[in-house]
Amino acid sequence: MSGFNHEVIFCIVNTGFSETVMEAAKDAGARGGTILNARGTANKEAESFFHIAIQPEKEIVMILVDAKIKDAVLHALYQKAGLDTMGQGIAFSLPVDNVVGLTPWKAEIKAAEAAAEKAAEKAEVAVENAEKK
Amino acid sequence: MDVEKKIRNRVLRGSTRAKVSMNRLKILITVVSRAKADFYMDHIQSFGVNMQMVLFGQGTAPREIATAMGLADSDRAVIISIIGENNLRAALDSLAEKFNTIVGGKGIAYTIPMASIIGKSIFNFLSDNRDAVRRNEK
Repeated sequence: MSGFNHEVIFCIVNTGFSETVMEAAKDAGARGGTILNARGTANKEAESFFHIAIQPEKEIVMILVDAKIKDAVLHALYQKAGLDTMGQGIAFSLPVDNVVGLTPWKAEIKAAEAAAEKAAEKAEVAVENAEKK
Repeated sequence: MDVEKKIRNRVLRGSTRAKVSMNRLKILITVVSRAKADFYMDHIQSFGVNMQMVLFGQGTAPREIATAMGLADSDRAVIISIIGENNLRAALDSLAEKFNTIVGGKGIAYTIPMASIIGKSIFNFLSDNRDAVRRNEK
């Protein structure tokens, strides 16, 4: 529960790109996130100087991940929703401690179940073979 | 050059002086369903929390997982509370219990340590340090 075993990733993207962010994050091992609507601000003078338009409507995607997969998720976000993409995303992470309410990842349990099923099938086949003989 | 050195020394000295060892503050982030936001805000407030903010957002968990966890819709509330370390353990234990027992009250909570804060009265307000305020009034 305590200690920095988890990180929360904040990804600020243009409105409508939160799905892209979540897809990229899920591919990298994240489980879910929370989308918040926000408004971005930019230096008006700099905007006209550089001839770029900053879309003020933003979405902030907040994703809580295990610290082990944080780098993979950030990397995926940078590739799929980074500043060079239409989403113009900025992503950063903060270490968090005292995480409660997160159900443990069921991957190991599912793998164990699958292995048990396979073993049962094998046993059935073996029994059938024995009966045939 | 001398001025730069002086400033650097002052900053260094200031940083050692500014270290707080009593009741450090943390930012408690609680994500729950929107319908339960008020309930959880009231609950967190009972642990000496004087400032809270609530943001409304959407959850992104796939429907199967969300319903399995007892969450009917995807509307979420993100509650940001400033809490002192002294009250943190009790608050989190109680939140964990509420997440597991309340129907449709599933959620997650975690804390981010606050690195620095400026202003004595603000610190006292956020850490619910009523004694310090009373001492000042006398």
